[in-house]
Amino acid sequence: MKLLEYQAISLFNQYQIPTMKSAVLSHGECFDDIAGAEDFRFPLVVKAQIASGGRGKAGGIRFAQTMKDARKHCRDLLGRELLGYTVYQVLLTEKADVRSEWYLSIILDRVDKCPMIIFSPEGGMDIEELARTQPQKILRLPIDPFIGVQPYTVSYLLAKSGLSPFYQDELYKVICRLYQLFLQQDALLTEINPLAVCGDDERIIALDGKVEIDDSALYRQKVWLQAREVMPEEDFVKEARAFNFLYIPVEKTGPVAVISNGSGMLMSCIDLIAKEGIQVSAALDLGGGATADRISQGLRIMLSTPGVKVVLINIFGGITRCDEVAQGVRDAVENYLGKGQFVIVRMEGTNKEKGVAMLEGMDNSLLMAEDIRQSVDLLVERRDLL
Amino acid sequence: MSVLINQETKVIVQGITGREGQFHTEQMLAYGTKVVAGVTPGKGGQEVHGVPVFHTVREAMEHTRADASVLFVPARFVKNSATEAIEAGVPLVVTIAEHVPVQDMMYCRRLARDRGVQLVGPNSFGIISPGKCKIGFMAHRIFSPGHVGIMSRSATNCYETVFMLTQKGIGQSTCVGVGGDMIPGSTFIDILPELNADENTKVIVLIGEIGGNEEELAAEYIKRHVKKPVVAVITGKNAPKGRSMGHAGAIVSADGTGSAQKKESALREAGVHIAESTRHIAEILLNLREEYEL
Repeated sequence: MKLLEYQAISLFNQYQIPTMKSAVLSHGECFDDIAGAEDFRFPLVVKAQIASGGRGKAGGIRFAQTMKDARKHCRDLLGRELLGYTVYQVLLTEKADVRSEWYLSIILDRVDKCPMIIFSPEGGMDIEELARTQPQKILRLPIDPFIGVQPYTVSYLLAKSGLSPFYQDELYKVICRLYQLFLQQDALLTEINPLAVCGDDERIIALDGKVEIDDSALYRQKVWLQAREVMPEEDFVKEARAFNFLYIPVEKTGPVAVISNGSGMLMSCIDLIAKEGIQVSAALDLGGGATADRISQGLRIMLSTPGVKVVLINIFGGITRCDEVAQGVRDAVENYLGKGQFVIVRMEGTNKEKGVAMLEGMDNSLLMAEDIRQSVDLLVERRDLL
Repeated sequence: MSVLINQETKVIVQGITGREGQFHTEQMLAYGTKVVAGVTPGKGGQEVHGVPVFHTVREAMEHTRADASVLFVPARFVKNSATEAIEAGVPLVVTIAEHVPVQDMMYCRRLARDRGVQLVGPNSFGIISPGKCKIGFMAHRIFSPGHVGIMSRSATNCYETVFMLTQKGIGQSTCVGVGGDMIPGSTFIDILPELNADENTKVIVLIGEIGGNEEELAAEYIKRHVKKPVVAVITGKNAPKGRSMGHAGAIVSADGTGSAQKKESALREAGVHIAESTRHIAEILLNLREEYEL
């Protein structure tokens, strides 16, 4: 789960990572609703809170010299569409007196399989862009979870990036706190870009924040679990989640939806279908042990995905029983199939014969296949109907 | 011979009194697995299908000197249970649950390395040496004894492959589910040396997918050390960008790390046969059948 900038900034504040004075305004509120709005030191930066990069170029980041400007920008941005997202919040911050900009992140590194500090004395721009243009300016330092962040960790970063030891204590504090946040919040990524050196006293301040929380840990991160429920998200994803299924949008449009009882097989199906030049719009992972009524609901959700003509179901039943699948498919085909829609089913494993027998004698809106390849072939033969 | 487990392997089931634990203990016993003890805190002294239950892994180890432990516990308890097994000195720990918090696995993996314990999973079907022993929940009827060693990140793609192989009379030596998570306890390069050294394994199959660099590391190892034929498939070529499927690990990074193209070219360069699909794996193995007496 990716947090919005204002949520990341609130975490920074909670962990005493220095940030500029800021306030959040939600849709339906106006600038004067901010408690102590008159105490802000202008100019202010007004930033639209959306889950997308490139908002600066799209007009989502604005500067306000006066109270009047600020009111106007807030009014303008709140509730409008930006890069396909509705702006529900804006973040207002005082503008910093920036002397230089660094990059700092702690990520969970898949290659080393531990937390990794990424630091660069050249911050401000996209880290991928920096990796392309000046890879030598990026330092990567793994953290051993049994050792943690130590003062020498920071000495190394400063020395290798040619920065003065003057920053040692302050940077050490920031990195320690960011690592605490990373661990305690079950983060996969925490990024500060830019981490700015500001003012005559050269204070280190986080001017932006990105945090991604591990979905598997949301059960113990209740604040974010609740936040996710009100986050803008595809309706189908939420609906499927209510049945404990994972709904994955694949292409923007496409006549095919796929269902399986495992991610591996879903990926195999999508690969085979895409190879035939047919687009898959969505995939549904049932997980193990789905019962007939849940399978019926899963199929209903896929049949109601806009543009879907055919749902291709591939089940390799271990925990999932084929007779349960058949019952669910039968129910959904009888109740939810739209005009011109059809379903292709392939089942293997526990109680296969029973399941196949239950689906026999249904009309041509339901086709049976022997294996994945044949299920895709049946689809290709009916290309004209898509 | 087989790798990691065989007919002598003594197994502890953690979470044995739960619904899944009971069911799969019965399945494993019926398959011939030597399940010697179960563990559920607070339920010590009970029996499940004739297997004695202990409160803790330490007690179970004192009584049985088991070789392996399998965790049929919910994701949120995996860290505690895996740590307990590792600290009690169980040499092989297999975790099944999906959706284990990534940082929990990071910790367990680090601890397992520290203590010299082989940790397999999570989000894994387990390990099976057909006809000898199974540890996990895999649908064992489709497996058959033979000479193909398999390592897979996906359970369903492994089942598909094995199902086709068994139908064609090609058996398997050992199949290991390394699991679909971002931080697996063991990866391909941890299992490869075992399969490579096993004289009963004549051909190795690697079922990989997008995300991470485990296939690339495997390619390096194969290039240097493996003389046996290796067949690999990489799934997820057309998976949606920047969004993980049910396998948390199956995601390509913004910098392109983890793409199917990179993996396939690294493996191809190491002399690995690249299959287009699980069915294609079976076709390639059919061609190798005579030469390697599969």
